[in-house]
Amino acid sequence: MKIGLFIPCYVDALYPEVGVATYKLLTSLGLDVTYPLKQTCCGQPMANAGFEKMATDIVRHFDDIFREFDYVVAPSASCAAFVKLYHPRLAKGNHECLTSKKIMDVVEFLHDVVKPTSLKAHFPHIVSVHNSCHGVRELHLSSPSERQEPLFNKIIDLLKLVDGITIREPERKDECCGFGGMFSIEEPDVSKRMGEDKIERHMATGAEYITGPDSSCLMHMQGIAKKENKPIKFIHVVEILAAGL
Amino acid sequence: MTYKDELLEKLRRNTRKQYPMPDTPINGISYDDTIKQFVEMSKSVGSNVVMAKPGENLDDIVRNAYPEAKTIASNIAELTIATINPDTVAEAKDLNGTDVGVVCGQIGVAENGCVWIPQDMKEKAVCFISEYLVIVLPKSGIVNNMHEAYDRIRMPKTGLGTFISGPSKTADIEQALVMGAQAARGVTVVIREE
Amino acid sequence: MSTLHSEAARRFNDNREKTTWHDATFWSLRQKRDNMASGLPEWEELREHASQIKQHTITHLADYLEEFSAQLESRGVIVHWAKDANDFNNIVLDILQSHGVRKMVKSKSMLTEECAMNPFLERHGIDVVETDLGERILQLLHQKPSHIVMPAIHLKREEVGRMFEEKGISTEKGNDDPTYLTQCARKHLRNQFMEAGAGMTGCNFGVAKTGDIVVCTNEGNADMTTSMPKLHLVAMGIEKIVPDYKSLAVFQRLLCRSATGQPTTAYTSHFRQARPGAEMHVILVDNGRSDILANDEHWETLKCIRCGACMNTCPVYRRSGGYSYTYFIPGPIGINLGMLHDASRYNDNVSACTLCLSCDNVCPAKVNPGSQVYMWRQKLDSLHKANTMKKCMSKGMEELFDHPQLYSSALRLAPLANLIPEGLTHIRTLNPWGVAHAMPNFAKESFQTMWKKGKLKKQ
Repeated sequence: MKIGLFIPCYVDALYPEVGVATYKLLTSLGLDVTYPLKQTCCGQPMANAGFEKMATDIVRHFDDIFREFDYVVAPSASCAAFVKLYHPRLAKGNHECLTSKKIMDVVEFLHDVVKPTSLKAHFPHIVSVHNSCHGVRELHLSSPSERQEPLFNKIIDLLKLVDGITIREPERKDECCGFGGMFSIEEPDVSKRMGEDKIERHMATGAEYITGPDSSCLMHMQGIAKKENKPIKFIHVVEILAAGL
Repeated sequence: MTYKDELLEKLRRNTRKQYPMPDTPINGISYDDTIKQFVEMSKSVGSNVVMAKPGENLDDIVRNAYPEAKTIASNIAELTIATINPDTVAEAKDLNGTDVGVVCGQIGVAENGCVWIPQDMKEKAVCFISEYLVIVLPKSGIVNNMHEAYDRIRMPKTGLGTFISGPSKTADIEQALVMGAQAARGVTVVIREE
Repeated sequence: MSTLHSEAARRFNDNREKTTWHDATFWSLRQKRDNMASGLPEWEELREHASQIKQHTITHLADYLEEFSAQLESRGVIVHWAKDANDFNNIVLDILQSHGVRKMVKSKSMLTEECAMNPFLERHGIDVVETDLGERILQLLHQKPSHIVMPAIHLKREEVGRMFEEKGISTEKGNDDPTYLTQCARKHLRNQFMEAGAGMTGCNFGVAKTGDIVVCTNEGNADMTTSMPKLHLVAMGIEKIVPDYKSLAVFQRLLCRSATGQPTTAYTSHFRQARPGAEMHVILVDNGRSDILANDEHWETLKCIRCGACMNTCPVYRRSGGYSYTYFIPGPIGINLGMLHDASRYNDNVSACTLCLSCDNVCPAKVNPGSQVYMWRQKLDSLHKANTMKKCMSKGMEELFDHPQLYSSALRLAPLANLIPEGLTHIRTLNPWGVAHAMPNFAKESFQTMWKKGKLKKQ
């Protein structure tokens, strides 16, 4: 099983430790992981802003460099969802989009494909799980609160394998944090308010850390928390799963 | 050519792909004790429920429920204490000032506490203008859900009917729930064995 | 970078307390809706059914409209066909004038709002009286609805109390208890019902097979509207058709549970013909709906049953209020309906969405308003309504991400950005991100750099 590691642009530049944790975790589980060097971005930032056509070449490029792998794994639910759900639409009429069927968020991949029954991780802290919108409603990492279906949460299932951890979820467990890509700069006031509300609910759980599968949401909340001096820390799920490696 | 023809032609032209009706029926919720569920749900939407004793006189039931009532409007023959009849009033507004209106219901729905009232009277205003409304419902008319209700619904010759679930209500001012917005301030559902 | 929505939202958020209240109020409606949904094991099945029935009906609409109108006409109901708002308003005016009507009571209808009927009739000397309590309050205050189901939700009881006193509707000075005010309105409206020469209702569902007009209210005001005057007018959008009672049951079960979190509205009233001695007119309105049908990406907005659940769940609506949208229907479905109505005029609302997709998941008819906002954003550029700054940024990203070499260089240089003083990065117009956020720090070494240097070791 050959795995192509996709480290989305902003993770690459701002949160390389998330990429490192992903690589360490996957290889520690005995998997064959490669990072194709010519990768850049999935195209989501411009598409969500209304310029998906500008992402056409990116989509082709993405498919070219990742098509040889059995799975493409990314530590970012939102980017994985974009490749899975929107790349076929952008590739239409140009090329067959193979990677959209191979892409998985790292949480999804671990939970559904690798299915580890134990991890070496030790993380003696209280964490509040941030169920990010695209993780919930596009990749179904957990059951959306709007839906009447059996409850599940793949993030929590995995975190339960971590020694010493205390897992919490905020009230309104999957309400949006207000990032939304360009939304946060086009509608800064609503975005800020949503972020503040979300942070408050996470903090009300008594958590030391907010953790989630999307560094973008975490970046948004972290930016607000830092500016407003809120005593809360942020960590990507995969960093917890890889803790101690 | 009226716009009707132009519209229908345009709609046909603008339809891209036609979709079929879903062919599987819905399995609507059902209850172990449908009567009990109906009673509970009726109370939760603000109705009073009276289980009539076998052979109990409708006059007595209405009297007991609303002892103060002076003007009682109904076209139910067996209700002898009625003071005004919606079938014979000249105008709907003649029913204004009615204390209690008494009407027959056909179907009671357990899932939401509503009762189907075939409006066979000349002035259906009686169902709404009365300060309080009594709905007489046969026990055999109680069903589980709206699917069953719409299967059994009887539309009278007037072509008018309504499902009523409790008193008139509003929450338009600051979401505060108030009973008796425009129509009945209170509803009593009388359940009778035939 | 701002849109009219974002500017209005900014003003809304200036009042922090009111924003908190507004958000909590609508979130509680979302929770009530959740409670109702979880009480029915068949909830998701119902939604799927509703969606399929609407898909079917809308794509067979001409047939169903023929059946529906034939049913009504067979019982003496007069059916009118209005091409647009102007047409509709004139038809209504004709009916009223030919009957010598000076005053008309009406129950709530988003369609009459869409057609701006009330001001039109008032210009022609007709006194139009809204009878839904919330709508009546707004009418007397000369305000527009801020939500399609709870139109006056943005008002506080003190404002209502003061206005009622001024208008002589209430008599007790300073009493702003909602029960008291509602009782005063009851008395006030009772007289209106008795004086009016005509009553107009909207239509939640029109049943093709039987010709029933179905109207759902909690107050019973549509029933009073049709029980007193001897002339009943129905304003109905052509998309309101459902095939038969079996289909109707599905929607009746979904509508109120989704809208207000009640198991049903207090009244679900059927009108198949005029009441004895009265006259009934049904005005079927197109006003652009037949064009939407031909729109491959957006035709399914015609499935909407106007429950408002998408507004209640929308985190942006809850924190920006109905008035921050430029179209008269706010929230996720309003963004779409506004664009469909006039994209060059109502595109300022397209920014009001994080693409969280909660609305797609609450919608009882599975309209996916959130996903459709994504589609609209793709169209803005061709309408010349794209934001220049966003376009520039996207263009820059395209350049960067299309060229792996350039991307690699940028990654190496990125940490230099950390050295820019905060004063420069936090000017609202240049960097709206800085309004709320401290800037994130670029890592000293990107993942790619570490990989190239062979710093990553297999575990």
